[in-house]
Amino acid sequence: MSGAERIGRRELAFPGGGEMSRRMREHPWAQTPMGDPGTWSAGLRTAVRICLTSRFPMIVWWGPELRFLYNDAYMPLLGTNHPATAKPGEQVWSEIWHIIGPMLESVMNSGEATWSEDLLLPLSRHGYLEETYWTYSYSPLHDDDGAVRGVFTAVSDTTERVIGERQLAALQDLGAQAGLARDAAEAGRLVARSLGRAAMDVPFAAVYLRRDGGDDLELVATSPADAHPADLPDWPLQEVLAEARPVTVTDLADRAPRLPSGGWQAPPTQAVLLPLAGETGGRPIGVIALAASAGRALDAAYHSFLALVARQSAALVNAARAYQNQQRRAEELAELDRAKTTFFSNISHEFRTPLTLIAGPLEELRSRPDGTGAGGSEQLEVIHRNALRLGKLVNTLLDFSRIEAGRMQARYEPVDLAAVTAELAGVFRSAVDQAGLVFEVDCRPLPEPVRLDRAMWEKVVLNLLSNALKFTFTGSIRVSVRAEGQEAVVRVTDTGIGVAAEEMPRLFERFHRIESARSRSGEGSGIGLALVQELVALHGGSIGARSREGEGTEFTVRLPTGTAHLPAHSLAPAGEPRGVPAAAEPFVQEALRWLPQGDGDEASAALPSPVRAQATPYRTGGGPSAPVRVLIADDNADMRDYLTRLLTSAGYLVSSAADGLAALEAVRRDTPDLLVSDVMMPRLDGLQLVAALRGDPSTAAVPVLLLSARAGQEASIEGLDAGADDYLVKPFSAADLLARVRANVELARLRSHHASWRTALIDSLQEAFLVVDDQGAVVETNAAFTDILGYGPEGLPYPVPHPWWPDRARHPQAHRQAREAFTGLTDPAEGARVTPVTHRDGHRLWVAATFNRVQEQQGRELTVGTFRDVSAEHYALQRDTAVAALSVRLAEAAGVDHAIRGALEQFRALWQARQVLAVTFPEAGEPTVAAAGAGGAAPRWDTLPAEHRARLETLRRGPLLTAISEPGGTAGITVEHPGGLLALRIELGENRPFGAEDRTLLTLLAGRLGQGLHRTHQIDQHRETALTLQRAILGPSRLPDGFAVRYEPAGRPLEVGGDWYDTVALPDGRLGIVVGDCVGRGLQAATVMGQLRSACRALLLQEAGPARTLMALDRFAALIPAAMCTTVFCGVLDPADGRLTYASAGHPPGILALPDGSIRLLDGGRSVPLAVRPGHHRPEAGCTVPARATLMLYTDGLVERRRRPLTEGIVQAGGVLDEGRELTVDGLATSVMARLAPRDGYEDDVALLVYRHPAPLDLTFPADSAQLAPVRGALRDWLGRCELDHPVAQNVLVAAGEACANAIEHGHRDAPGRAVRLRAAATAEHLRLSVTDSGSWKPPQPGRDPGRGRGLILMRALMQQVTVEPGAAGTTVEMHTRIAR
Amino acid sequence: MKTPLALTTAGRPDGTAVVTAVGEIDLSNVDAFTAALTTALAGSRTVVVDLTAVEYLDSAGLNVLFSHAPRVEVVASALLGPVLAISGLAELTTVRGADGGPLAG
Repeated sequence: MSGAERIGRRELAFPGGGEMSRRMREHPWAQTPMGDPGTWSAGLRTAVRICLTSRFPMIVWWGPELRFLYNDAYMPLLGTNHPATAKPGEQVWSEIWHIIGPMLESVMNSGEATWSEDLLLPLSRHGYLEETYWTYSYSPLHDDDGAVRGVFTAVSDTTERVIGERQLAALQDLGAQAGLARDAAEAGRLVARSLGRAAMDVPFAAVYLRRDGGDDLELVATSPADAHPADLPDWPLQEVLAEARPVTVTDLADRAPRLPSGGWQAPPTQAVLLPLAGETGGRPIGVIALAASAGRALDAAYHSFLALVARQSAALVNAARAYQNQQRRAEELAELDRAKTTFFSNISHEFRTPLTLIAGPLEELRSRPDGTGAGGSEQLEVIHRNALRLGKLVNTLLDFSRIEAGRMQARYEPVDLAAVTAELAGVFRSAVDQAGLVFEVDCRPLPEPVRLDRAMWEKVVLNLLSNALKFTFTGSIRVSVRAEGQEAVVRVTDTGIGVAAEEMPRLFERFHRIESARSRSGEGSGIGLALVQELVALHGGSIGARSREGEGTEFTVRLPTGTAHLPAHSLAPAGEPRGVPAAAEPFVQEALRWLPQGDGDEASAALPSPVRAQATPYRTGGGPSAPVRVLIADDNADMRDYLTRLLTSAGYLVSSAADGLAALEAVRRDTPDLLVSDVMMPRLDGLQLVAALRGDPSTAAVPVLLLSARAGQEASIEGLDAGADDYLVKPFSAADLLARVRANVELARLRSHHASWRTALIDSLQEAFLVVDDQGAVVETNAAFTDILGYGPEGLPYPVPHPWWPDRARHPQAHRQAREAFTGLTDPAEGARVTPVTHRDGHRLWVAATFNRVQEQQGRELTVGTFRDVSAEHYALQRDTAVAALSVRLAEAAGVDHAIRGALEQFRALWQARQVLAVTFPEAGEPTVAAAGAGGAAPRWDTLPAEHRARLETLRRGPLLTAISEPGGTAGITVEHPGGLLALRIELGENRPFGAEDRTLLTLLAGRLGQGLHRTHQIDQHRETALTLQRAILGPSRLPDGFAVRYEPAGRPLEVGGDWYDTVALPDGRLGIVVGDCVGRGLQAATVMGQLRSACRALLLQEAGPARTLMALDRFAALIPAAMCTTVFCGVLDPADGRLTYASAGHPPGILALPDGSIRLLDGGRSVPLAVRPGHHRPEAGCTVPARATLMLYTDGLVERRRRPLTEGIVQAGGVLDEGRELTVDGLATSVMARLAPRDGYEDDVALLVYRHPAPLDLTFPADSAQLAPVRGALRDWLGRCELDHPVAQNVLVAAGEACANAIEHGHRDAPGRAVRLRAAATAEHLRLSVTDSGSWKPPQPGRDPGRGRGLILMRALMQQVTVEPGAAGTTVEMHTRIAR
Repeated sequence: MKTPLALTTAGRPDGTAVVTAVGEIDLSNVDAFTAALTTALAGSRTVVVDLTAVEYLDSAGLNVLFSHAPRVEVVASALLGPVLAISGLAELTTVRGADGGPLAG
């Protein structure tokens, strides 16, 4: 053999110009055990040729030593082991031989193929050590005699899939943290912990959150958790926060050389700082720093993964923060509720006591013929004083509600603050003197007047002085005025009992009363200091307090001078100097009543001295005996006077004490026959007094009648529990009191005998009591009855129907219930029955009533009933039910809009509303409206009446979660919506009142709705994340020409499924096309899908052909539990001539729409789904996709509908495909998805792949006339593939040629060589062609340039339509002609 | 690279020059076509342009024929018929088919 001959043979054996081909040609084969290539078997030669000409990494292992032959594409995978031509395999891959050696052996021995999946190889192919994964498949190579002599290995790059799946798992793990954190920092730590499990993708992470809404960032957590703060880089965090966009740090190695590497060989060099987005597109709530693994390029895919991590993290933090806010709001509401209750309790006391004292004397006055009499003027004084007190209280409350509503009308005039304050203080002087205190008034003139609203200022000073006097028993009270800097400072200092340190923070809190050990009066509503604070704030000033228990208290008011701090429209000129204001009198009068000397009252802490009765003393029993002695304990001097007078005139021997402690001492000294005591008293209150008496055997038997302003069963039970014998609620009548006193004195004597009877009596008296005659008429009631229903004894008898029954026409069911309760009556076995009733003032109540039939002596049958008010319990139950029902609706909601609709329906039913509107106000753009209950078309924002719109706008600007009701029967509230604000408006039924209970209920429900919307929104976001990933896995980002694909997840519940499509460019220029459908949904199906898709790809790349690919997939799928029964349509298409071979594993047939309008189904090559019968032979079918025909592959979700045969769906799909044959492939795919979609969206997910043959032509060439011939050649080819008639093809060729020539000659006359683009696409009946250049044509001028005109004439004559679109960036010629069929 | 085009000029017994083109005529090689025609016209009153073997003729080539229309006679295959007819050249000069008959256009 000559040298030349040998080289020639070698070129034949090792074809190609690559490095490995060259090395193999030069290899001294004869010196190796493999021998000269000329002696090689045909099988080995073929394998080597395939290997060397393939662009995919491949290896041939040959002979007993598995000598190693490989191609150029494999070189990077070999790293430093290259070159290794024909070395024994064990030497080449010694480090992993323990893994691959046995695999290769098994192939050699059994002749069965095997593979190893996803081997990690750190490769340095792009200038850095890269994390890459490879799947090796090992197939046997046979010698000419059929024996297995070697192994053929194809290698596929699975890096993207492996990392994609890992990232998917990381994001799922992150998503699974939802709902675990209770505050933002905890959420941050959960994020870090989750990322710690994803160190391969995020080797280092740091979460920074904004501190309390400021720009201050706080490091909340790092991953790994033990990262030392000193190792943290100096990030540009503020930049990220300010601009709300990610910043990539590329010099991480310099900034933080010691960062953890996440398991990779090198520490990270790059990191991305991403803003954590706020809930509703507001400012970022923080920044997350995510280092990128040094093993991967920070490319677009990596960026998008990190962006998803940031988005999930933000969602977690936001959710935690929302939870925290809701929690806090709930606590605040509860606190408010408690404060309200306390307030109303106090205020009722405050109203009732003066009322009793007005009503009592008036009653007496009325009973005298001339209305005056001896005590007349004195009693009128009492009335006057108490009227003043009541007036002051009411005024204070009114001030408060004005401030609250922002309606306080201030008038700031320049005032000499020192003079005015001194004058106000002077008013108090006599009271302070009487109290035996030193009063210092030190008001030095200020350099300039201070702007004040006089009326407000009076209240400030008077309240502070009144407060000081109330709590100071010895020492002094001091008032001073000073200028300090730009402020006027007023101080009111006392040497009183002081305030405990723990109470200081709540000193100015509304309705909060400091429970002090001692004061001059137990009276007070707890709003004086709160009002002072509000009033001072209206002046732009501030108030503070310092106090020490037992030493005193100092209040400091600071007022700014000048006018800058006040609204200009409220400024007024100096007014007339005024005298002592009228407002002062009630304060002073009240203060004087606290003091012992005030009206000659003997009591206070002094010994109670008996007062001899003026009338005949009341005596027990009939015979002569000692007068009955009654001790009165009450802190209110008027009340003491009144009771003393009343009981004295009834013949009792009366003494009195001003507080509980004094009363206790008095009782111990001299036990009275009866103690009448107020409940609320300083030092020792009524209940404590009773407890003290009962605790001492010597006083345990003293009968006690408690008087209290606190209405309600609980209060009376409390009193009776403490051991009181009876309980009288203010206001009471004189007769009532006398009757009770008498009864208690009698009872005390009879106690041992009648204890049980007494208990029964009191029990019934505490509840509403009624007697019904045999006609059903109510003939007798008690005070509690009147309290509860508003119907007093003056209206007796109340015949059927009782006026408290709910209206029969409007509330038939409630009416029936009440009728049954009050007349059907009496089944004692039932116990108390709950029924709705209507109070005299119209409001709805619920009472639990019990009735008993009794036989009267005359033989008449009467019914005695008692009931109590259970409205609170009833409404609480109703609230719980409604909240639970709403929660269920929200949990079922599939999306935010759905949740809103569900809530609207419930609101409508609950309030029997005419209509309920929900208007979402987005951050920007038109509000959207959802409605329930209105017939006709759903309203839109622009169709709502202007008045409604205005009210909704007002609602929107108001505070969140605050229920409001408007006259005209509407109620509204706003809640947070994930996209902005949601305003709800309820149009109530006719005359339906909207009470406090309704407001509470609406607030609760709206709060729950807000939470529900938030949760639903989060679920939506998670789903979107999963979908993004699914789409990312699906790819491919670059489709071959002529294809369009779609993936549509199922409607609701939306979950990503296991459907996929794929196109694979095969080395020989053909295309693998695949559509498959894994059983199931969710992450598992998506994972299986990913594996099958990769495997299918790899198999097609080995040029296995469709049937063999599916057979190999059968074996593969048998190994994966959830891959069983996957259906696949697998084809290999030659885009040059449209030839298609395909096989189907139980998949619906492909559809072919031909240009003549007929439809063909690709129903050959069919067999069972994957892994059903592994190892069985699969058939293969072939067909040719004719020119201008459209091929559609799909998954069954596209065509399968309930209660409809699959074939019907396929026929329908064929029809839609045929009708779209004039659309572009992309347009066609869109049209198919839209037209086949069921009304509520696809029930199953859908993958779709559409191809039209031939693929459109798209050529870009330099503007040079030399290009004309090759371009024409390519076009001629393409037209041939379109199978056009010859003359038509020639016409198109000439027209296109003219357009190209024009583009070259005119478009680029001044810039030769720039690009011209020719595109052509054919549909069934039409052909469209466009030529684009980047120059601008001048309009043709006939005569000057006749040739140019001729070109256009030709184009217009040869094509049906020609348009020339000159543009700034270039000129486009569009041509279009019909292709004869 | 210019589009392949072979041009030969021959004389008929009657002295009429015949320019025969084989290939395609477009913007890239129209200069050669022009030169051949101009040279032939310099020595002959009329010139027969034989385009029978021309598969493609664009407006650049037509322009050359137009500018010498009164003195040229065109012979072409049916393939060029539509172009020659649409451009109006057939109205200015004689256009014949390869068989000597009128060209279907």
